[in-house]
Amino acid sequence: MTAPVDPAHAFADFLACLEEADEYGAIEVATGLLDAGVAAERVLLDLVAPAQVEVGERWARNEWSVAQEHAATHISERVVAAIAGYADPRPTRGRIVVACMDGEWHALPPRLVAEVLRLRGWQVTFLGASVPAAHLVSYLHRHDAHAVALACALPMRLPYAHRMIEACRRSDVPVVVGGRGFGVDGRWARRLGVAWAADAPGAADLVADERRLRRVPPAELSHLADHEYAGLVKRRGELIDSAVADLRVRVPSVGEYTSTQWDATIGDLGYIVDSLAAAVYVDDPELFTDFVSWLATILASRGVPTAAVASTLGHYGHALRDFPRAGRFVALGVAATVASGVVRH
Amino acid sequence: MAAADVRGFDPGDGRISTPSAGRAPARSVGAPAVLPPLAPDGTSPEPARPEPAWSEVVEHFREGLIICDSDGVVRHVSPVAARLLPEVTPGRRLAAAGLAVLTGVTDPDGFGHHGRRLRIRRVALSGSRSCLYVEDVTDSVSRADALLAERARSAFLAVVGEKLGNPLHPDRAAAAVIRLTVPTLAEVAVLVLAPRSGRARWWRATRADHESPTVDSGVLPAAALPPAIAEGLSGVEPHAVDWLVEQAVEAGWLPGLTTSEVTARVVSLPGRDAPAGVLLVARRTRWYDEADLDLVRAFAARAGAALTTAVLYRNQAEVADTLQASLVPVEPPEVPGVQWGTAYRPAQASLRIGGDFYGAHRLADGGAVFFLGDVSGKGVEAAVFTGQLRQCLQALHRVESHPGRLVKLLNDALLETTQAHGQGRFATLVLGTVRPHRDGGLSLTMAGGGHLPPLVLRNSGEVETVPLRGMLIGVVPDPRVGEVTVRLAVGETCLLYSDGVTEARGGRRGDEQFGQDRLVHAVTACHRMPAPALAERVEQVTCDWLGHGDHDDIAVLALRATGPGGRPRRHLHSVPAVPGTAERNPRP
Repeated sequence: MTAPVDPAHAFADFLACLEEADEYGAIEVATGLLDAGVAAERVLLDLVAPAQVEVGERWARNEWSVAQEHAATHISERVVAAIAGYADPRPTRGRIVVACMDGEWHALPPRLVAEVLRLRGWQVTFLGASVPAAHLVSYLHRHDAHAVALACALPMRLPYAHRMIEACRRSDVPVVVGGRGFGVDGRWARRLGVAWAADAPGAADLVADERRLRRVPPAELSHLADHEYAGLVKRRGELIDSAVADLRVRVPSVGEYTSTQWDATIGDLGYIVDSLAAAVYVDDPELFTDFVSWLATILASRGVPTAAVASTLGHYGHALRDFPRAGRFVALGVAATVASGVVRH
Repeated sequence: MAAADVRGFDPGDGRISTPSAGRAPARSVGAPAVLPPLAPDGTSPEPARPEPAWSEVVEHFREGLIICDSDGVVRHVSPVAARLLPEVTPGRRLAAAGLAVLTGVTDPDGFGHHGRRLRIRRVALSGSRSCLYVEDVTDSVSRADALLAERARSAFLAVVGEKLGNPLHPDRAAAAVIRLTVPTLAEVAVLVLAPRSGRARWWRATRADHESPTVDSGVLPAAALPPAIAEGLSGVEPHAVDWLVEQAVEAGWLPGLTTSEVTARVVSLPGRDAPAGVLLVARRTRWYDEADLDLVRAFAARAGAALTTAVLYRNQAEVADTLQASLVPVEPPEVPGVQWGTAYRPAQASLRIGGDFYGAHRLADGGAVFFLGDVSGKGVEAAVFTGQLRQCLQALHRVESHPGRLVKLLNDALLETTQAHGQGRFATLVLGTVRPHRDGGLSLTMAGGGHLPPLVLRNSGEVETVPLRGMLIGVVPDPRVGEVTVRLAVGETCLLYSDGVTEARGGRRGDEQFGQDRLVHAVTACHRMPAPALAERVEQVTCDWLGHGDHDDIAVLALRATGPGGRPRRHLHSVPAVPGTAERNPRP
């Protein structure tokens, strides 16, 4: 009998394997822990999950390229498959369908949830990343599910997430959601009127309690009556165009941008509008201020000054004179951007 | 005056009949048989105008009138008041009538009295006198009650319509039906579905302390069903309800309830020919009257429709699934030295199949033949065509493994079929063979049939476009087929993709094509990625570009030279397929 091993001690080795894109090495580290008697759930949650958090942070700090991040994530997925194969639990309970929201590609966290549920005896179907609502619904019509677990990592996807939740509800299947997209404390899940779990064990406890799963307070979305969300969605293209025009006037050097740089810039301008729309959707300026602070940090690590973000927000604020709620959020966003710049310098 | 008499006076149209002065004279004490003056100071009205006969006017009020003096002694009772409150006697104290509502706090909802519903309004008059206005609100209240009950019924049926419209899975639909019955229709309800091969499935909802009922379910042999249920399943609604309760209690279906305290009913749920099932409702509180039964039947009609639809859907979907399964691309087989990566996203998400296809077959010499292509048309028809194409290739690769000649053979086969069916179907594809080298590298020989040129990710980080041309397949008898051979060193990757990637429309306005340049840029610096991660990345950047817009079918096939050496492969072999992950690929 080997002495219990702490997954935290294997962390550095595991991360080194991810960095080297060494699939076999990473699997060896994980199966080594299992051989030493560490429970599969702990290996998933105390080794693979924190490593993935670190991968994301390295990307955010521009230490790792997108390609490296993707490779590491792929390897983590292989490790999860290896752990699941090693434990090989027999399903004794009902079916749970686990999926990423449409447009959501962060598949590893829900995959971990899926495996934890499987380890606890559920028959789990993992539908993968970016599952279209139509596909999920037709799956639910074909296979009776005890519950659906949906993941959303990006708050800007919340309006789509809400549609997907409603689609599952209409099929009379209870929904549990998770992921950072719903806020660290799940506050936006409450706003959308859906059960929320903080982590994989929380999700496992929740699906085991059908009464709790079904007893969710109704969505609080009366603020949508002001049509600001719909207006923002409708004006998305126009807003981005005007922001581009504004950039050309304000920062003449953008004239030398390559097409790739333009794609990235237009992408960011779009994300700002999407986050604003999502913030208006759940009526919480914090969603937007969190996003712009994060964006300012990411861009700063890639050489874009914070002031650039602030002035683009200023432009949006001006363009959204007729949107009192969105306008207020943008003003708070400007303040948050400036603050995030101050903290760093 | 008895209550019956009071009721007899009512004309029944909501108005109160006004008695003739002779039959029911106003009873007053004190001098004249007229009302006390209404003017507070007792000054007489202008003599110029004739005074209206107040008593006569007041007698025709629908409200009855009781006037008390400052000592609480009744001074006047109008005929209507006398009829409604016969206990009130002029000359005696109001309290002596023995009705607390006359002197206490008045209830805006009124109170029951001699079978009528009365509402009292108390008004203070001058000189500490007071006046009680008494109104008979029996009919308006009962009309309001009936309206509320009707509203509750329609609200319930509206919820039923909403909840039952969507679950298309038979078990879900059954669970939704049974959950709706409690508490509106029953305290305990049991739904028994029409037996299939001698076994009947049942669901039961039991009222719990919480809002949502407790639901359980199970299976019973059809022969063990209580007679009333079996009868209901044959379409007959049992009339005698006493033995129904006994049967249900005996069957153990009504936990916590005894025969004496329960009333129960059974209704059948209409199906296509025979009933889809039967619903047993039971409760302690109230007997099921005709209105209740009408509601249960209206519910049963909707529930029956929902269950029938769900069963119909299941039967159709079983057929569709079987056909679909044969049309979904099959994952490439394991080939030494090759790591495959695939991504597949059909335009119609709910269909899971489309006009793009890919695949690979092992060759006897240790290599493999692989292909990725796109057929004309969309949806099911296109998917069926891809199925034919893949079957053709499955057979043909056994007789011809040279890519150029294999594509031409395929062209001949397609021409023959499309001509036979009189429909112009064509396809574009890249088809190649992969053969491992001793050094771990791969040699790819590819033939092009009018498809987009593959990309090669070199170890240097460079992304090359493979010069591969050719004509559409299935159009002309002897098409020009391009052919090219590419060497992959260990770690290098070849990427095949469909036009759903490059022609994805998105960007600022949602009308700009993704294009080859963006694709090349997206995979630049991805040469160290494992093939599955690369395929997923292409799928992801394409979908990100699309936003939430519509798209064509998207297919990606990547092959990476992993080399034979390096790490031992035993670890990979120790990773068995995880149950459930099979459904992950192909992705919608």
